[in-house]
Amino acid sequence: MARRKVKAKQRGTAGSARPGGSREESPPKLDVDSRAEVLYADDEPSAFASMLGGLIEANVRSNPSKERDFDSLKARVGIWVTDIDEGVTLDFKGGHLVVHNGLKPQRTLTIRTDADTVMSLSNLKIGLLGLPVYYDEVGRGVALKLLTGKLKIEGLLPNVTTLNTVTRIFSVQ
Amino acid sequence: MAVKAFSNEWAKAFKDEVNKSSVYKTAGKGWKWTVGLVVEAEPVNHFPEAKGIVMDLFDGEARDIKVGAASDAQKCDFVITAPYTRWKEVATNQLDATKGMLQGKLKLKGDLPTIVRYTKASQEMTLCTTRIPVEWPDEK
Repeated sequence: MARRKVKAKQRGTAGSARPGGSREESPPKLDVDSRAEVLYADDEPSAFASMLGGLIEANVRSNPSKERDFDSLKARVGIWVTDIDEGVTLDFKGGHLVVHNGLKPQRTLTIRTDADTVMSLSNLKIGLLGLPVYYDEVGRGVALKLLTGKLKIEGLLPNVTTLNTVTRIFSVQ
Repeated sequence: MAVKAFSNEWAKAFKDEVNKSSVYKTAGKGWKWTVGLVVEAEPVNHFPEAKGIVMDLFDGEARDIKVGAASDAQKCDFVITAPYTRWKEVATNQLDATKGMLQGKLKLKGDLPTIVRYTKASQEMTLCTTRIPVEWPDEK
């Protein structure tokens, strides 16, 4: 059963100037923030699941273009970190994300790599047309790992567009 | 000469190592937040009281590193918490800090995108700790 993560958000600023010069005191309201909803499928999300979920949530909330990607993405993406033997499944459901501990079936894409490369993936710069940049130092490192088999992406060929969208959402750059 | 783990001498040696590192100087460019390391007590390992390490890091330089109370470290912009043994594993290169955080062995508090953006800087800082000869209280 998915656990809902509800975030309190202050809406409106008390004493903000309004058109016509009047100042309306609108008390701060606590409301459920529906943006970038991240849910955790497990009662005790793993540290890795919490970290990825938290990272994606923070990225999407701070960047409107990432939010658009997040709202449109429907895919199940597995990430397995080979040197810690842990993984997650990110189930993007077009506007909300369910994070599962471990790999779940029916994944669109599965990324298998070490912890350092997971960090590098989230440090890929996004360039022209929203494509990840593979020609700078971080990008070359990721490309080299892909070529040498240290980064494996199952389901890549039919889902290149999905991978690019996930990379944009995941990237902190 | 070895310094006592998480002592003022250790903090000075750590600061010197960070400021000697050209890798950190480059990777830490733009960083402007304080970092607190909380070393939780482990009386069984002769580390009876928690300590806090407060690091004033700015733009690729360690301006100050101090050892004090855990509560001081907890006030920093980023806080990494772990028991004594885990920190010892990090400082003796037995535990990679990135892996430790992904596994929850090191608990991180702070803005995740920012810390991820500075992964290379934090890895270099970890390497700096491994270069300091340390006298560990549980090895006496």
